[in-house]
Amino acid sequence: MTEDMIICRCEEVTYKELAETANKYNCSARELKLRTRAGMGYCGGRTCRNMVDKLAADLTDERQTQITLKYQPPIRPIHFGDLGGGQS
Amino acid sequence: MNNVIIIGAGPAGMSAAIACAQKGLDVVVIDEYLKAGGRLLGQLYEQPDGSWWNGIEESARLHQQALDLGVQIQLNTPVNNIEHHDGQWTIYTEHETLSTNHLLLATGAAESPIPVPGWTLPGVMSVGAAQVMTNVHRVKPGERGVIIGVNVLSSAIAMELKLAGIDVACMALPKMSQLTDQQAHPKHVLDSLLHVSHMAPSQFVKLGSKLMKNDFMKKLGVTFYPKRGVNMWDIPIQLRKAVIEIYGEKQVEGVTVATIDSNGEIVAGTEENVEADFVCIAGGLYPLAELAALTGCPFYLIEELGGYIPLHNERMETPLDGLYVAGNITGIEGAKVAAAQGTTAGLTIAKQAGFEGLDGEIEEAIQVVEETRDQSYIQFHPEVNKGREMVKEKWEEYVLPLRSI
Repeated sequence: MTEDMIICRCEEVTYKELAETANKYNCSARELKLRTRAGMGYCGGRTCRNMVDKLAADLTDERQTQITLKYQPPIRPIHFGDLGGGQS
Repeated sequence: MNNVIIIGAGPAGMSAAIACAQKGLDVVVIDEYLKAGGRLLGQLYEQPDGSWWNGIEESARLHQQALDLGVQIQLNTPVNNIEHHDGQWTIYTEHETLSTNHLLLATGAAESPIPVPGWTLPGVMSVGAAQVMTNVHRVKPGERGVIIGVNVLSSAIAMELKLAGIDVACMALPKMSQLTDQQAHPKHVLDSLLHVSHMAPSQFVKLGSKLMKNDFMKKLGVTFYPKRGVNMWDIPIQLRKAVIEIYGEKQVEGVTVATIDSNGEIVAGTEENVEADFVCIAGGLYPLAELAALTGCPFYLIEELGGYIPLHNERMETPLDGLYVAGNITGIEGAKVAAAQGTTAGLTIAKQAGFEGLDGEIEEAIQVVEETRDQSYIQFHPEVNKGREMVKEKWEEYVLPLRSI
């Protein structure tokens, strides 16, 4: 039940997939994201970011002074037209 | 080009806008929501002196005051990027690109989710969403709800739901997992509730009749927590039960709860169903730092303040030229602290924009922030002062080598 629970809704990544990947590769939050696509959907990880962070195996001191999963623009969805210079 | 751009129209952003405009600066406030006020909009509770704190009225008052001073307020406008070039900040919204020398980020906080099996069903929402639906939009989230997660915020919102005539079947803890932190530990939750009891607003005491100060605390603290829970405003608060699943065919039909021991472990065979048509998940708040994170501002993880905090000083300056922060982005606290921080930031910006003789006013504003913090009766984190001290230390560490150059 808990295993099948969706953590990343945009990319439909389950708890099981994240937990197994974190264990198998003993990986950082960033690697966990890249391996599973959790946090890479259209919402930009606004829902699952903190959960991906917690499931990652790597909880070193670096975490204290650095945001583990980088924020990149655009941080809100924008239309392709606006992004591309307004040609309709 | 504008003198000042403020992102976030909550209590911090609006108070800053008012302080800047009073000094004669041109101010633009941008917010992604359709109304000004931010999280203040949802608040409704009785204060110790018996008066009511009505977030909608407070928001309207701030909004009007800002408008009267000539502040431009752009609502429904998400900011998707900010950049810093040649001492100037560029702010990108979908339809417009703005620039300024003084940028204040007052982006507030966001809610942490707690995943529970079935949490993707329609009818499951964050507790803040239920609050906004009820208090801002005046739409019932449902007829009968269950709240997962017992904390200061969810208790206050449970009471607001009751005031709106919505039945709350129970408040219970989430089932423990790697993702729940201490929110699934009955002992930890109990401790955090006991910690706020002495600051509980009279509404807690009044509506909960004899609960908070005496019987409730005795029941909670001294004896083992009763299996049936303790009622507060007729809502059973279950610290010894965890929601293990949210069920329903096409939408929420109820939750399955089980008894947990004092360490949060499920007692097998104790599962039972509780019918409900909506479920609120209350995982607490964290500073919404997305925009600040794009700037390269240093961050520190400070649990006492709710998460990653952009480095700042008491005048609300960051180490980056012309970048300021105020409100919950600097740590999770109440709306009144956020407003006081906003005023401080506004005065600091006015000083940096060339207004002289403001040092006394800025010092006073910093004092007001501290007094407001000390007088708050709802502390989101019991160690907030410790967290603030940590930020001060980090600031000193950061600026010290720069000074000696």
